[in-house]
Amino acid sequence: MSMFLKSLKELPPFGVAVGMRLDETDSGPGIVVLLDGDPNIGSHDFGGSFHNGVILATIDNAAGWCIRDHADYREGIAMATLDLRVDFLSYAALSETLRIRACCEGIDRDLAFVRASAEIVSTGQLVALGQATFMMGTSPGPHASVAQKPA
Amino acid sequence: MNEIDNIRRQRLLDEITKTPYFELLGVQIEAFEDAPILSAMGADHLIGNINLPALHGGVLGSLLECAASMMLLDKNPQGVTPRLVNIDVDYLRTGRPVKTYASASLVRQGRRVASVKAQLWQEARDRPIAIARVQFLLDRTGRTDANHG
Repeated sequence: MSMFLKSLKELPPFGVAVGMRLDETDSGPGIVVLLDGDPNIGSHDFGGSFHNGVILATIDNAAGWCIRDHADYREGIAMATLDLRVDFLSYAALSETLRIRACCEGIDRDLAFVRASAEIVSTGQLVALGQATFMMGTSPGPHASVAQKPA
Repeated sequence: MNEIDNIRRQRLLDEITKTPYFELLGVQIEAFEDAPILSAMGADHLIGNINLPALHGGVLGSLLECAASMMLLDKNPQGVTPRLVNIDVDYLRTGRPVKTYASASLVRQGRRVASVKAQLWQEARDRPIAIARVQFLLDRTGRTDANHG
């Protein structure tokens, strides 16, 4: 069961801009971010589908969050994304909501490894798969997806 | 800017205007070399870390994908928008919330697949803040490049 840190719930400005929201009712594994379809994040001006870029962005955000939610994560440690790969399996219509789940599969003092998926909530259809690597203990590193709270 | 560049610019502008997500990112067309050079300002709503501050990693990934797909459109004006298969981003430096440039180059284009390299930079082109390998599936009907027609 996830025990969300307070800082976890604070969306970065870009998360707000595209409408990411943490699913606090999810029981795991990892964490879930929900993304509702909205014309602003579409790939075409005629309805269309979620732009691949916003799916990538939500996976990146969820990946950072799931590390902070991991039992072995020490609060306050800064981190930076080293790399992120996303495979795009299918399109998702903007009338849908996406469920992006990210799980931290391994973490130590230096590195954390994350796997993530994006699926359509109403059908369960897989839309994207992601994997990311994070460097831990950067001070303060590039691209930590979540702002650190001052002590 | 010469007339050919104006035609290239208009084609890409049309594509950006009809892609709401690129409008959200504030994608601009900066210049044309062999491939188009795009840019985005470090607007407040693109920030991922307010304390550094730094652009969101997803913004950088999106700009890389944008540069890659716009480069393909520029090279294949008759083609339909290719389908993104996957993207692999390496984050090299902090993306500060300032003007960020993006460009891409074609590694190989066959009949069905295009392999593209994309890069982002800020103050200096030889100091990229992120790079990506991007793969696209091309239109099945195969209006690709002349070498494979």
